[in-house]
Amino acid sequence: MFRKPVDLVGAAAFLAFMAALPLVFRSNYLIGVLTVSVIYGIWAVTWDFMSGLTGRENFGHSLFIGVGAYTAGFMNTTFGMPGWWSLPAAMVMAVLFALLIGLPTLRLKGPYFALAMLSGAVIMQRLMLIFWEHTGGEEGINGLTPLIRNQLGFYYFALATLAAITALLLALARSHWGLILRAIRGDEATCQAAGINVTFYKIASLTISAAFAGAGGAMYAHYQLQVSPQLFAVVTSITIITMVYVGGMASIYGPVGGAILLVLLTELLRNFGEWRLMVYSCVLIAILFFVPGGLVAPTWRRIKAARGWGP
Amino acid sequence: MSAVSAAAPLLEVSKLNKHFGGLYAVKNVSFGVQRGEIVGVLGPNGAGKTTLYNLLTGFIAPDAGATIRFEGRSLLGLAPHRIAGLGISRTFQLCRPFVGMSVAENVIVGALGARRHGITDHEALAAGLLRRVGLAGKDRLPVEVLSYGDQRRLEIARALAAGPALLLLDEPFAGLGSGEIEDLSTLIRQVHAEEGLTVVLIEHKLREFMRLVGRVIALDFGEVIAEGTPEAIVQHPAVIEAYIGRGNVDPLEAGRAA
Repeated sequence: MFRKPVDLVGAAAFLAFMAALPLVFRSNYLIGVLTVSVIYGIWAVTWDFMSGLTGRENFGHSLFIGVGAYTAGFMNTTFGMPGWWSLPAAMVMAVLFALLIGLPTLRLKGPYFALAMLSGAVIMQRLMLIFWEHTGGEEGINGLTPLIRNQLGFYYFALATLAAITALLLALARSHWGLILRAIRGDEATCQAAGINVTFYKIASLTISAAFAGAGGAMYAHYQLQVSPQLFAVVTSITIITMVYVGGMASIYGPVGGAILLVLLTELLRNFGEWRLMVYSCVLIAILFFVPGGLVAPTWRRIKAARGWGP
Repeated sequence: MSAVSAAAPLLEVSKLNKHFGGLYAVKNVSFGVQRGEIVGVLGPNGAGKTTLYNLLTGFIAPDAGATIRFEGRSLLGLAPHRIAGLGISRTFQLCRPFVGMSVAENVIVGALGARRHGITDHEALAAGLLRRVGLAGKDRLPVEVLSYGDQRRLEIARALAAGPALLLLDEPFAGLGSGEIEDLSTLIRQVHAEEGLTVVLIEHKLREFMRLVGRVIALDFGEVIAEGTPEAIVQHPAVIEAYIGRGNVDPLEAGRAA
């Protein structure tokens, strides 16, 4: 799964660091920030698996997040189902939406898939407001039960989930499946001439990406204990894409680091008060300008190369 | 115009038409390719050669009424990846490698299609094919650093990785120097001789091409204007007209200039 033992050591060190942080600083505020950063990590890594590898940009990842979260909301409150049922249900619903958009648009060339994802998210956000009697409108759905009552326990659960999803997607990305997805990014016609069913691979990858993003949405819902139409917001999708760029597109593990870095950066910049967004944007622009290939994955590759740990 | 033979041809095409608006890119084309042949498709630019390949490989659909049979099976209505899966590999006129991947990875993708299930060691297959096409030792290079001639070799290695019964090469010599053209001809001849692979290649430059192929199908304005041995084709009045009549270029001179 990992190319070199050093990758495994790096991943273990990173996980140990993330696990130790709340034990060292013992702050509920920090645990909250870390939990959100880890859930963003799930969204970033799932975005990268589909769009980073195949090059078919998904501008509406928030669609899967929102669908997963609202599925959790309805299941848990309206139908009174136990919280843990939310996760598989959210995955199924997100996959249905992925098929709904992927089946007609991923067989086409051109921007249709990206536009359909974007409009799908926008439409769902509006629908949540239009059908306010069922969805709670702007307020959303409140009163979800937590999956794990202990805050630290839930953080570890989220971290373990992120690790498992990343490991699975990394294994897929480094298998022949991933090779095919990268080839699709290179040239679809050549893939077809090589006997590869390009449409199948794109749709299957989108459903895998959607399933885990939806699960992440459900986890977020059970962490916030409420869902709102804001989950479908375009800005969430854009934030996730930014995280992938900062992490290093198509590397799978990079976007995890990108997501955690950017969430932490947002929090650190709270001290800047009203200057926060401006500083944040400047830092982002600087990163994308000076290291256009991303920060996390290329840095790890450079460290390995410098130490002679192999490619 | 179809090949007359006791054995059923590997590829059989008849009444193939494709029009775009009022223009026929391919018009009433019929021909056959026997197993083990090297056939050349000759014609000036715009004669419909690449459209013919796109029709054969399912990238575009022919007008109604056509017959395309491969090993006796109709290819009409099949998606490109299915046709490739039946054993037809093609290359493209412009090299289209998978950028961002290594040379070996490019070849491996060629073997991941439907046709080859039994392969266990894809790395070894790729290394073997790369050695075969003269790219030994370049396995791990990023594909972007290859010269144009090497990219052509890579295209052929990738096409061979699928284990085809029929190889369709679209202007394999385009953009190559004369030394490279000779090397590539030798390679095509070897592949044909060693594996009994049937090869069809498109060209409009003549010299190397005529030495390589056993039979030529000449196209102009989408129609077959002549068919026969290379020697007969260069003497054929319709072919001479197609080249000299419009472009004032002697086909043999055009070949030498390349």
